[in-house]
Amino acid sequence: MNRAAILWRVASILVAAGFIAAWQLIANLRLVSPVFLPGPDRAWAALVRGFSSGDLASKLIGTLEHMAYGWLAASIAGIALGALIGSSRMMRAYVAPSLEFLRPLPVSAIIPVAIAMLGLTQGMALFVIAFGAIWPIMLATIHGFAAVEPRLYEVARSLQMSRAAVIGRIALPSALPDILAGMRLSLTVALILSVVCEILAGLDGLGQWVLLSARAFRSADLFAGVILLGATGYLTSIAVSLVEQRLLAWQTAAR
Amino acid sequence: MSVVARLDEARAARRQKALIAFNATTLRLGGKTIIENLDLEVRPGEFLCIVGASGCGKTTALRLAAGLYGPTSGAVTFDGEPITGPRREVAIVFQDYGKALLPWRTAAGNISLALEASRVPARERSSRIEALLRKVGLPGHADKYPTEMSGGMQQRLQIARCLAQEPTTLLMDEPFGALDAMTRQGLQDEVLSLTQTSQTTVIFVTHDLDEAIYLGDRIVGLLPHPGRIGIELAVDLPRPRDQLATREHPEFLRLRRQLFDFIKATEH
Repeated sequence: MNRAAILWRVASILVAAGFIAAWQLIANLRLVSPVFLPGPDRAWAALVRGFSSGDLASKLIGTLEHMAYGWLAASIAGIALGALIGSSRMMRAYVAPSLEFLRPLPVSAIIPVAIAMLGLTQGMALFVIAFGAIWPIMLATIHGFAAVEPRLYEVARSLQMSRAAVIGRIALPSALPDILAGMRLSLTVALILSVVCEILAGLDGLGQWVLLSARAFRSADLFAGVILLGATGYLTSIAVSLVEQRLLAWQTAAR
Repeated sequence: MSVVARLDEARAARRQKALIAFNATTLRLGGKTIIENLDLEVRPGEFLCIVGASGCGKTTALRLAAGLYGPTSGAVTFDGEPITGPRREVAIVFQDYGKALLPWRTAAGNISLALEASRVPARERSSRIEALLRKVGLPGHADKYPTEMSGGMQQRLQIARCLAQEPTTLLMDEPFGALDAMTRQGLQDEVLSLTQTSQTTVIFVTHDLDEAIYLGDRIVGLLPHPGRIGIELAVDLPRPRDQLATREHPEFLRLRRQLFDFIKATEH
């Protein structure tokens, strides 16, 4: 890291620290009732307490599980379907209008449908999370497969590569930057829907923790859950970005 | 030797078994006739250059020989058999090296693609890759990505990948069209030394008349709309060719004049 990058990093940390200080100040001055707004000190204490009793850790694991299973299912299905649709011009022409109808559909609208059909179960949560998270991945994969340089297909033909080799060695690596960008976007969607499902279906997780804390006016616990959710989104996104940088090292090699 | 006598000799030589032959080949694409009634034979070991104004179908002729297109009527044969698709002993070098290389693979990885396609065992690949990189003048660049290389180096890499196929025939589609003059001359000499020693048959498409005369044993000039043969010249210049001496040779200048007049007459 060079000097300027370090300065930017320090500045961003200072801004975050400023927000926390302002929050503490507002809480200390009792501008908002402590019943609704705990200070960062109380939220932190609740966080530590929750983890030492083990309750919060199990809720965190529950949310991470919902998120991971839904996201992985969406990734596998999204990449497979996207590759199928994206690699054929005919498929794109046939399927694109249906996708345009389904894509802008708010996922929350299908939750009642999913509950009606699958009940208040883990399976329902998995379906809803995967259904919401599949769109960014599938659309990015379709785009990635449609945008493969035609010249590379000719190279593959003149090398007499098999269909599987063309997909594995030409199309998939060529579409990988798009696919990974889509996967990063749907990570956020998966987290949001995990919380929504936990709240609606009462499934074990941070969504349930937040809801129950709010109902019991345990504002410090409520904020501890919210902080943990924020951190989850932030850290998983960083993790995917790191994988992305590693897999796409060739893109930055020239610069 | 007179021109007529030389062409007679060329025809006599061609009656020997042709490696690639176009027999009354016609290609129509989207209602347009791109190539009409093309008769052309390429002998084994011959270096044939195809020139012509843009739109004369010279690239299309090459793609027919590569098996990337099939003729609408007539036939294109390789070693007497109709060409039904790409084959391993025929390699094609595209003009746009930037698009033909895999940007996510290093130089070694790009060459490896051809070896993987030929099912060369993994343990043999690295030594073959090293030898090929040395052959095209890129030793020590194995771990570079194409985007880290100059245009000339990228085209050398594409040639190395084609050589990895161990082709008997090399089809080159304006391979040096996007390169600067100095790089271009260096690559011309390298292609000559690579193909002459191994007796590789070459069909070389170019719009650069000097390049065609410098490289070729024979030059075919195509007429546009639809593409057909307009002129055929045997190049009777001593080998090995030399960038200075060959280009100053009276025969070189005579051929240059003749080709130039032909191209000028086709452009209206």
